Amino acid sequence: MRSIVDFASEDVSLDRAAILRSQGVPDEAELSENFEKIYIKATELFRELAESKGIIAGITTSRFEEVFRGEGLNEKRNPVEEIYRNSSYLALFAVTLGPVLSSRVTELFNAGDYAPGYMLDSVSSYAADKLAYLAAEHLEAELAGGEAPAVSCRVLSYSPGYCGWHISGQKKLFEALYPEEIGITLNESCLMTPIKSVSGVLIAGPGEIHEFVNSYPFCNTCAARSCIERMRSL
Amino acid sequence: MELLNQISENLQNGFDEKVAALTKEAVEKQIQPEEILNNGLVAGMNIIGRKFKNHEIFLPDVLLAARAMNCAMEVLKPLLIKEGIPIRGKVVIGSVKDDLHDIGKNLVAILLEGAGFEIIDLGNDVPADKFIRVAREENADVIGMSALLTTTMPVMKKVVDLVKDEGLYGKIKIIVGGAPVSKEYALEIGADAYSFDGANAVETVESFFPKRGS
Repeated sequence: MRSIVDFASEDVSLDRAAILRSQGVPDEAELSENFEKIYIKATELFRELAESKGIIAGITTSRFEEVFRGEGLNEKRNPVEEIYRNSSYLALFAVTLGPVLSSRVTELFNAGDYAPGYMLDSVSSYAADKLAYLAAEHLEAELAGGEAPAVSCRVLSYSPGYCGWHISGQKKLFEALYPEEIGITLNESCLMTPIKSVSGVLIAGPGEIHEFVNSYPFCNTCAARSCIERMRSL
Repeated sequence: MELLNQISENLQNGFDEKVAALTKEAVEKQIQPEEILNNGLVAGMNIIGRKFKNHEIFLPDVLLAARAMNCAMEVLKPLLIKEGIPIRGKVVIGSVKDDLHDIGKNLVAILLEGAGFEIIDLGNDVPADKFIRVAREENADVIGMSALLTTTMPVMKKVVDLVKDEGLYGKIKIIVGGAPVSKEYALEIGADAYSFDGANAVETVESFFPKRGS
């Protein structure tokens, strides 16, 4: 299975509280009028400029083992390895919001419109992560054959750079998936362009395979900490 | 002075055009540029900094104030240069080689500029030797480096090593930041400081220089 998916920008629901939390704004905070205006403008710009696309390609466990091994720099003990070995289906994926949004952020900063630029960047970062969730939902629906996904089948995404999967794993992932087809490229330091892109593996299986105790040595320095929320969503 | 208070208040509200107009008015009323800078603009930014630290306002509010500060500085800068008033300090900043993330670096640059420092922004994907070359040419006080990837972090060490090789270690302060960077990493590579966000970067760089403004 290999498919290219066009996501409508309305499909990407923007959770205001989550976006603001990512900026360090507590839920109960009182915001200035300026702040509110900038937020609304950024969401409008996002809806206007996002060109959301994704590519999803099934992969065998043995082939994925090779991709996951990457350059041999993964943490010795990591949750992804344990999770994919218990999966019922694996697919590589890459999603992007397209180049226009990133260019607009740069333009805003260059014009001295720092606050709108920062807000648009913040909204876009949230939306890029959300696209990975949408890719997982898409696969879940496909695996269910158009019917409601089986309760026992849950798909979550895992990306190089997180959970002990070294960022250099991007190289093998790109070789196997070829997301260049939807305009995503990789540079020498494993950075994707457009910047607002996410790649990784979608792991399908019973919800419990995704559960782990986040006490790996690298968990202490993890800035994302999204595993807690992800496990809660199962 | 009422006019300087107005500059400070309008700056805190992010009214860039108003701040620029009031700054022009202050210049026309023969208020010394240094006084306008310290008791109007920097005073306003200091309040913004305190409010931000106390979570009374948030980054977009700070960025609006920084833009207002920059608009006013366009009026003041030629006068400050003309009168030979030294700037607060010069910072060469950039995202390291192969790293194309620049939002974090931009925020630090904007906030430092807002705090009265002169910024030489080298952009992103900056080779190690360029940091040194520009810092030397510009007689900079600080080199600021950002990396958002573990794969690009080693460039920071390369810069520190080059600073040492050129005999500039201690003369030029080095500050590093970015998601995968830590205080421990900064210590390990011999950087002078690590900053976890833009506001902290301003505080840290300010600690290298004498305090200014009320």
